[in-house]
Amino acid sequence: MTPRRGLLRELSANRIMFLMLLPVVVFFIINAYIPMVGIYYAFTKFDFNRSLFNSEFVGMENFKFLWNSGILAKLTVNTLGYNAAFILFGNVLAIFCAILLSEIRLKWFKKLTQSIMFLPYFISFVILSVVVYNLFNYDSGFLNTMLKAFHMNPVDVYNTPWVWVPLIIIFYLWKNLGYSMVIYLAAITGISEEYYEASKIDGANIFHRVWYITVPMLKNTFVVLLLFALGSIMKGQFDLFYQLIGNNGVLYNVTDILDTYVYRSLKVTFDIGLATSAGLYQSLFGFILVMTVNTIIRKINDEYALF
Amino acid sequence: MKIKDEKYAMTFRIIAYTVTLFATVLCLFPFLLIISASFTPNEVIIREGFHLIPSKFSLEGYKMVFRFPETVLRAYWVTGVTTVVGTALGLFFITMAGYVLQRKDFKYRNYFSFFIYFTTLFGGGLVPWYILMTRYLNLMDTYTVLIFPGLMTPFLIILMKNFIRSAVPEEVFESAKIDGANDFKIYYRIVLQLSMPGIATVGLFLALAYWNDWFLSSLFINDQNMYQLQFYLYNIINSIQFISQMGAGTGISLGTDLPTESTKMAMAIIVTGPILFLYPFVQRYFVKGLTIGAVKG
Amino acid sequence: MRNKAKWLGTVMAGVMLSSALAGCSGSGNTKTEGAGNAGKSGNAPATDAAAETTKGLDTSKKVELQFYMLGDAPKDLAVIQEEVNKLAEADLNATVKFNYTSWTDWDQKYKLLLSSGQPIDLIFTADWTQYQAYAKSGAFLPLDELLPAAAPELQKYVPTDMWDAVKINDKIYTVPATYKEYVNNGFVYREDLREKYNLPVPKDIATFEAYLDGIKANEPEMQPLSINSDVKTNLMDVFREISDDTVGGPLPYGVGIKYGKPGEVYSYWGSDEQKKDLETIKRWAGKGFFPKNVLNVKDTLQAPVISGKTAAMLGDNPSRYNDTLIKMQASHPDWKLGYTSFAETRGFATPVHPIHNGFAVPRSSKNPERALAFYEKMVTDKRYNQLTQYGIEGKNYEVADGYYKMIGDSTSNGFAREGMNGWAWRNPEFMLFDKGYDGVKAIFDELDKIAKPDIFTGFAEDYSAYQSERAALEQVEKQYFYPLYAGLIDNIDEGVETAMSKAKQAGLEKVQAAYKEQWEAYVAEKGIK
Repeated sequence: MTPRRGLLRELSANRIMFLMLLPVVVFFIINAYIPMVGIYYAFTKFDFNRSLFNSEFVGMENFKFLWNSGILAKLTVNTLGYNAAFILFGNVLAIFCAILLSEIRLKWFKKLTQSIMFLPYFISFVILSVVVYNLFNYDSGFLNTMLKAFHMNPVDVYNTPWVWVPLIIIFYLWKNLGYSMVIYLAAITGISEEYYEASKIDGANIFHRVWYITVPMLKNTFVVLLLFALGSIMKGQFDLFYQLIGNNGVLYNVTDILDTYVYRSLKVTFDIGLATSAGLYQSLFGFILVMTVNTIIRKINDEYALF
Repeated sequence: MKIKDEKYAMTFRIIAYTVTLFATVLCLFPFLLIISASFTPNEVIIREGFHLIPSKFSLEGYKMVFRFPETVLRAYWVTGVTTVVGTALGLFFITMAGYVLQRKDFKYRNYFSFFIYFTTLFGGGLVPWYILMTRYLNLMDTYTVLIFPGLMTPFLIILMKNFIRSAVPEEVFESAKIDGANDFKIYYRIVLQLSMPGIATVGLFLALAYWNDWFLSSLFINDQNMYQLQFYLYNIINSIQFISQMGAGTGISLGTDLPTESTKMAMAIIVTGPILFLYPFVQRYFVKGLTIGAVKG
Repeated sequence: MRNKAKWLGTVMAGVMLSSALAGCSGSGNTKTEGAGNAGKSGNAPATDAAAETTKGLDTSKKVELQFYMLGDAPKDLAVIQEEVNKLAEADLNATVKFNYTSWTDWDQKYKLLLSSGQPIDLIFTADWTQYQAYAKSGAFLPLDELLPAAAPELQKYVPTDMWDAVKINDKIYTVPATYKEYVNNGFVYREDLREKYNLPVPKDIATFEAYLDGIKANEPEMQPLSINSDVKTNLMDVFREISDDTVGGPLPYGVGIKYGKPGEVYSYWGSDEQKKDLETIKRWAGKGFFPKNVLNVKDTLQAPVISGKTAAMLGDNPSRYNDTLIKMQASHPDWKLGYTSFAETRGFATPVHPIHNGFAVPRSSKNPERALAFYEKMVTDKRYNQLTQYGIEGKNYEVADGYYKMIGDSTSNGFAREGMNGWAWRNPEFMLFDKGYDGVKAIFDELDKIAKPDIFTGFAEDYSAYQSERAALEQVEKQYFYPLYAGLIDNIDEGVETAMSKAKQAGLEKVQAAYKEQWEAYVAEKGIK
């Protein structure tokens, strides 16, 4: 059987399903695959007078600005580290809160708290940065005003780099908890009540039920979130870093990520090639990581793999 | 036995209430600061910073935002339309795709999944996409350009796929097929009914993304009557940032009415408000036991 | 496996499709270039047939021009646009669409507009939008050949030396604004407090410091100096202007050039001069003139002065000083704001370079001739000019005793003075000023007496050869020099040494050498001594 025949047969047998997928396919072709030609910019010298494919091919030249920066390794480590922390703590906290919330019986309390936990998601980082400055600035910040009131020495948060590692993670969690919690909450809602009934009869207490039923049932959701997070592990959260840290070079050693570096250093450069090459580096990194992890997951349990 | 169980349940509940209450307070606190700031005169904010209770009350910020009320109302309208239309259309496409992709008898599901997922890894960058949208599809200043790019994300499709898989037992498909229902009918009659929590979640995320979007307006909208609400807010904030970065040498001065701190905060409140009212309606789908009810009913 | 190949096939098909699209864009570009050439070669017959078209401009086909300006559009833009179009349709058989980028990510969008090849007929240029660099890399059409045919009046109206001044590689790429203004800095301070505590008038760094000392001592609640996180632009560049006789600015990568000795390029970074400047900044920081966490302050410089939180700005230009003054007195009529132009100490001021404000025709323009003809109208035709600068007379503004007067206020009027950000098409003959602007004019009159030319802005740096080093240096400056600029580092010698070693690793010497070479060539070419 030639593959063509197989495809045709598939097409005719499942034409409704193919039709149902069609909008999605068209969408991604237009919105994602066609613009992907732009990756070629990474290997050319940008020229206003020539179209993309007529531009001069320069090979890996554009990548030099990343290698030559001398801090690519540091940036990579920072980006990976923060994202790993976001994934780990983000999911653990979201699962934890979702489980607690799902067991609360007081309806109004449940609804109210859930709404409020969603609030931070709406506060843009620009505005958050203003609030944070008001909390932590040395001269008149909320924290130092409190410390002084208790006759303690004020702390200089904005000149203490290490503090920002936990702080940034905390602000990330704070902002995204409500969002990721909803995903897990929906997953918990989907778990059939029968499992719990059965376990009750077996004499399991609530802690057992959570640990042996709820948590395993969330594995699937977790894997999806994980694979998506891994794919963009070299990107993302630009605003969080850019707004909270801004021009404060003192903190860069521990807070600079690839996105902020690229943004700052190319702000005044209009060469599209440089920015594209940085994006490609991030993509390749994520791609390799995801392919590896997905293969491993597939080995363990085919059901959980993404593709 | 029974008493012990009660004790465990009690402990659990105490933990649950304490933790959620604590988290709630943490989430609420900065928001209260912002609300308070939005009611404080600009000068006082600049001089004294933020307080939980305004040391001096003023509606100045809100007055500034509603200086031209029709502009703000217009922005509400545009955001509302894009959110509603985009979410409805997006949900339709996403649920269909999610349904097909989880069908075990659909041979190419993994390739399609990969086709979709791949787009999160690689992108051509802003420029080619921008060229496509503006020069080839001619979408400048249209509602289409505000709606189309946000219709779906790979993440939501895969999430939907998983929700459906866990909500609809395999046997349901088989029995439906035996009854002679075609694939679309199964989706329409059964799958949609059974996966309401998933649909509510994905719908919420879609709606939030549309509501919070400012980037599309920023890139593709020149007509001020088509500004989205969030862009309106962002633009207020960015004008200030712009001015603070422009040295005197540029000679740029923006005349009389530079937006102020209190305006920013008032705007943030105005943008967030409606979603807060809407959210409780979505929430009912996250109440445990509802799925079961749906199956039985 | 086989299926994977098929999948790849699909992707390839997509790529091919899109490369076909990109191919289109290529031919699109050559077409516009062709049009430019046609304008060139068609020039001769056009002058022959001058009797017929009088201007050598073919207006037989109706066109819509795309006009791009930075910033936010005024609320009543649609009304103005309609009025302008009535005129333009009659005069040029053209209509115009005024587009505004808004200030949100304007620099990114500016990049995008020019590099995407989107058809744009007129776009704003300035030194701070990187006019020189864009012109050098071919983003704009050269106007030399187009002007005589399309906009002869404009060509005559703008003085020849201004046309010469905006030339990049011997070609004109932008239409410069002719309005003469000064954007040199001057000390801004609270005159009422200065009088009250009998403090010296700030004239140089020493007297300014004495003034700040006095404020600190007498008004402990106040923050003496207004500064934000942009310590390079808002602190160091200004500081160097008054203290180090810089040729102009901003000078990149720690290059130093003095106005008095333009032929000499030295490294300011690492020099004793820099260390001396940094010592002063550190002393200021130590005295508490500005907040310790200045690198995270995002206010504008002016807002805290207006609200009375801070008592001075190291430098601002006359117009902005005047704005600050007016806003401050609106809520605090008894406060006074003083201004000492740096020119009083430096002995000269430089009127803005013609590059400072202009309009260019991008490479992607479909109607370059008509665009220029329209722009000519905007500048030289009073009806167009005043309509787009001040709005509709009687509705948006009125003229009283020769002064501009806004009707209503900013909450009711949808078109403020210069509401379209029309800095580039100001025409001194048609300009109307608010009464409050008299102060600025007085300052300008003083500066006119000691004016010297701006010898810096005409320089077009070509950094394509060291782009990656340039990016790396940007990072080094933020990470290692900004803390020094903010007075956060106690041991200046050590701090500078660290920063210098990092900068050298990033390729400072190569970049500075290249800059020096280009600068010296420029100085030699222009005969600057």
